[in-house]
Formats: sequence, structure tokens, C-alpha cells
Amino acid sequence: MGNDFSNIPRGFNAYFHPEITPGPTEEPTFDPQLGFPKERKERVMIATEEEMRSAKLPLEDRDYCAHLLINFLACRKDNWPWVVKCEHEKHEYLNCRHDDYVIRMKEYERERRLRVKSQKDGAVAA
Amino acid sequence: MSRKLPSGDWNKDYKPGPFPKTDAERIAAAEKYGLPIEEYEPYPDDGQGCGDYPKLPMISGEAKDPFYPWDNPELKRNFNEPMHAEFDLMREDRYDVSAKLRRPMWFYWLQYLGTMSVCIGIYYLCENVKMFPAVTPRQYPNKTHYTFELKD
Repeated sequence: MGNDFSNIPRGFNAYFHPEITPGPTEEPTFDPQLGFPKERKERVMIATEEEMRSAKLPLEDRDYCAHLLINFLACRKDNWPWVVKCEHEKHEYLNCRHDDYVIRMKEYERERRLRVKSQKDGAVAA
Repeated sequence: MSRKLPSGDWNKDYKPGPFPKTDAERIAAAEKYGLPIEEYEPYPDDGQGCGDYPKLPMISGEAKDPFYPWDNPELKRNFNEPMHAEFDLMREDRYDVSAKLRRPMWFYWLQYLGTMSVCIGIYYLCENVKMFPAVTPRQYPNKTHYTFELKD
């Protein structure tokens, strides 16, 4: 998932060039459909609020992978202490988290490039 | 053993006598602790309760010659030698009151404050340039999010 050392100059960029470097807590600001030839698919939430509450999932885990986490935890409970039988469920869940992280990385890079582009366009117009 | 020794079986027997006021009392106290009268000097009578116990020079065990044939080499002490009132704090395994520093004290303070100020300075300089991974915050279904796949 990238080189961790490349995170160091990003801290300096976010301080000295905040207009082209999104910070770690900033949401994307551009239109999500901007620049795509067709509409993008929406992300689908499969687990319902009721299910997540019933499984007592921590609030930070109630994301788009929650249904796989519920599956994994239920499998662990059913097979305890032979939890190695749940390797399949665990792998599915971690794959989902990986794909989620990749989407967030792509969103960050898209936001950064659009900021650079809008800066350049503004400079040309001025 | 010609000299009368301060000896006893219980803690009340180890207790020093009252503070010497007259010359006769001083001579008797010096005789009691086995010191020549010129070297005998009691602790000041300030309520600490040292009485007529002699105020001996502060020499810790580390400062005494290890090659001298002491009668009691473990404590570097001769037979009948009067013990310092704070002897238990100046033994070889305790504090070395006669230690000599290798360098002056301001040098050590300069070393310490220099190291600490460099560390704290780096901390404050880098306070606003913290590294972070290149990802947006975690996505939760409280608003619409999109994948990077396109609709057919």
C-alpha cells in the first residue's frame, strides 16, 4: 500500500501548500461525477442498522464491510475455540477492507489532482 | 584495654550524653569517644539530640585508602575508631559525599539543557507537519459514496 516514507513529505505539503494537498480529515469537495464518461456506481450498504446494533458492532466498524464482519464474528462464536475454521470469513472481510482502502486512496488522489488542475485553470484565467 | 569504652546492651545505652558546657565536661566527653581534646568538637546544641557526640569530618568510604591495613577492611575502619553520626549514609555502597566531579557542574547543566532543548525544539518545529497516509476519511453509509466502476 505505497511507501510509508512518502507520507513524510505529505505532512510538509499539507502545511505549506494546503490548497493542493487535501488533509487527512478533509472530505472530497468536487462533484463525484465530474469527468466520468458515465455515471459511477454507488456503494451498497448490505448490513442494516438493526443487524449492526444486534451484533453490537463498534461504531467505527459500521461501514460498507459490516455484513462480512458480522459473518466473521458469528462464525468465530459458533466454532470457538476452533476459530481457524473461520479463515475464509476472515479473508473475505479483510479483502473488503482492502478494497475499501483502495477506494479511499483513489478518492484522495482524485481530489488532489482536481485541486492542482483547478489551480492551474485559475492561473490561466487570471 | 586501658580506655573505658562506651558500651551497652540496649539502645538507651548507645545514647550520647548531654551537651558539654564546661571544659571539664568537654575533656570527659573527648576521653569517652577516644579523641584528643584538640580534635573534639560536639554538634551544635540545636535540638537535634546529638548531645556530646563528636562532629567528625565527612569522609565517605570511597575516599578512604583501600590499601591501608584497616583492622576492619569491609568498613575501612580501625578498632575503636569513632564512627561518624551519619555513617550509614556514607558507606561504600551509599552516597559518596567526597566525590569529585570530572567536569564543572555548569558543563553538565549545559549538556542536559542543550540535549533537551534540541529535542523539544524539533518537536515544536514539526508540530504542524505531521505525516499521514494518502486516503480520505473512512466512508460510512450516512451519505452517498461511489465506487470507481461505471454504470452500464
